Amino acid sequence: MNITPYRIILCDGTACINSGSRKLAAALQEQLAKHGLTDTTTIGLSGCLGMCDKGPILVVNPGYTIYGRVTEDDIPEIVEEHLVHGRPLARLAIQEDHLYNRFFRVFGDAKFFGKQMRITLRNCGIIDPENIDDYLSLRGYEALAKAITDMTPEQVVAEVEKSGLRGRGGAGFPTGRKWKLTAAEKATPKYIICNADEGDPGAFMDRSAIEGDPHTVVEGMTIGGYAIGAERGFVYIRAEYPLAIRRIRRAIEDARAHGLLGRNILGSNFSFDIEIRLGAGAFVCGEETALIHSVEGMRGMPRPRPPYPAAVGLYGQPTVINNVETWANIPVIILDGANWFRTVGTETSKGTKVFALAGKVVNTGLIEVPMGTTLREIIYDVGGGIPFGKRIRAIQTGGPSGGCLPEQYLDTPIDYESLAKAGSIMGSGGMIVIDEDSCMVDVARFFLEFTQDESCGKCTPCREGTKRMLEILTRITEGKGLPGDIEKLERLGTMIKKASLCGLGQSAPNPVLSTIKNFREEYEEHIKEKKCRAKVCKSLINYEIVEKCVGCGACRRVCPVGAISGVAKSRHAIDQDKCVHCGMCFNTCKFEAIAKA
Amino acid sequence: MSTPLELIRKKRAEAVSRIIGKGYLSTKRVYVGMATCEIAAGSKDVMEVFQKAVSRGLTDVYLSQKGCAGRCNLEPTVEVIEAGKSPVKYGRVDKERAQQIIDRHLKNGEIIKEWVID
Repeated sequence: MNITPYRIILCDGTACINSGSRKLAAALQEQLAKHGLTDTTTIGLSGCLGMCDKGPILVVNPGYTIYGRVTEDDIPEIVEEHLVHGRPLARLAIQEDHLYNRFFRVFGDAKFFGKQMRITLRNCGIIDPENIDDYLSLRGYEALAKAITDMTPEQVVAEVEKSGLRGRGGAGFPTGRKWKLTAAEKATPKYIICNADEGDPGAFMDRSAIEGDPHTVVEGMTIGGYAIGAERGFVYIRAEYPLAIRRIRRAIEDARAHGLLGRNILGSNFSFDIEIRLGAGAFVCGEETALIHSVEGMRGMPRPRPPYPAAVGLYGQPTVINNVETWANIPVIILDGANWFRTVGTETSKGTKVFALAGKVVNTGLIEVPMGTTLREIIYDVGGGIPFGKRIRAIQTGGPSGGCLPEQYLDTPIDYESLAKAGSIMGSGGMIVIDEDSCMVDVARFFLEFTQDESCGKCTPCREGTKRMLEILTRITEGKGLPGDIEKLERLGTMIKKASLCGLGQSAPNPVLSTIKNFREEYEEHIKEKKCRAKVCKSLINYEIVEKCVGCGACRRVCPVGAISGVAKSRHAIDQDKCVHCGMCFNTCKFEAIAKA
Repeated sequence: MSTPLELIRKKRAEAVSRIIGKGYLSTKRVYVGMATCEIAAGSKDVMEVFQKAVSRGLTDVYLSQKGCAGRCNLEPTVEVIEAGKSPVKYGRVDKERAQQIIDRHLKNGEIIKEWVID
């Protein structure tokens, strides 16, 4: 009797559901029960596995046997032959070797990975990033070789265009079109830039991608160089990422040593090399024209577009500038083909998106999901829900340029258009889950404080406007909000968005405007009732000493303004007129005797 | 003259044999997460424990680092992979746990269930 603890994965992607995958689960349960395998076999669901044309897909682990076009009638045979006798069914097994599959061979069907799909991060966490052999062994640089051997530069551009890949830095401009425009420019030399100037608070997608698999970025950029006719590329990465810098540098050196960068790559007449430029950590340098200035050695400030970098970029030459994640998709598109890539995602947004999932969620971490996955699936299936049984209040996407979406938008599918329609943005991939313990006004203030600080100061709407908005927000959180402040914020925010020079200013008011739109009543409570329902805004909290007080005197000693009085071993009291709402008594009390009201 | 595609396939074959030469086919492959996030959570210490064990004669183990797989809240992570078996992923590994993974799992084949990420 075979007692291997088999794990069966049923693809729960739309295409597989349409071809009848959901009927298989019941048939499977029935057969497992018949053979007494119910206790030893687990059945899990996965997100789209990208083999839609062969659906429904059923995977048996260990062994990673993939069965395609499975019908209910096939189930008894699969269970009998494979699970009972350990003989995989050759008749239904399909041999697919998509690059991303390996990741799941290693990580199997853990709940966290079930709805994920890894294209960009296909090697992250499974290879040694400092060993080029590991990358080469997983068909590394084969896409580059394929492009040079079998494709003309025009064909490479056409393939990327056909794939539907859009810029992962946030704006979502079609990558293929960008390449096509640059390739069509007559001026030479042309340049390739990788934007690794990741600046959103709480975002770490690019860092992890480079640290986990730097060669993918090198290969993607080199293919880009071949496609547009560039011989030099630059990785612009912030100096705060020492490990990522070390690994990308090592990857470039190793690639050179193997003839994968430099003169006459792999014996062809195509030459390309990559240099690293370190950024000093200014947020605005993530904006492409500011970044280009910084690479040139000038102060990182944006300039009006057009002309776009595709025509006038680095040193005034045609330049393709793409984000780390965009570059990491290129080798997969070339190797597995645009037709396959197009099967993943939604009508307008193809492929996957990496998110840094953070905030009030059980499984914080780096995730990659197919476009079209809903926010609910990300938070509750991948993220494991909200800790301590709390309620979700909002989900923030796009970092300081994005917006806060309340609970009713949880079923929004992730793609560029749907998120924009809901009032937020895709952004570069920051995703922060906010629960009922957070004050939405304070959240907005936090993000605006960041952008106000990072404003480069070149244009007035952004420099002065964000400052004034922050002043208003601060006074609202301090209980000094005035009637009309909300309208003032709206007017100012709309004006800054319209009049600012670059993306920083054009998006800076978003966190404020979206929280006003979705949580207006909280703003009103702060202003009219001087009340913060989440009890976050310190000035709006009144502290009281309740019956639990044992009279230890710790709060009295720590109070900086002498607002607490009382004798030893009896209940103390706070003089509300003297209290400055600093919260030190609350933090000091060991007996939970101080309450927020 | 070989084409770039033929060249890269040759390079891949060479890379594979180099990896095998380093002991990749050993019974147990151990991967320690070494991205910034993992290191911040203490994975350098964990790596040291494994390196020491290997230098002191722990055999049949292929030790390697890896990047971030995304399980931030459970880092540092260590994976033990054996051919034909489900991979075992340990979370929140510290020096103490690393030593126990060596003594109990690598040497005696015991999977320490309470630390496994599932």
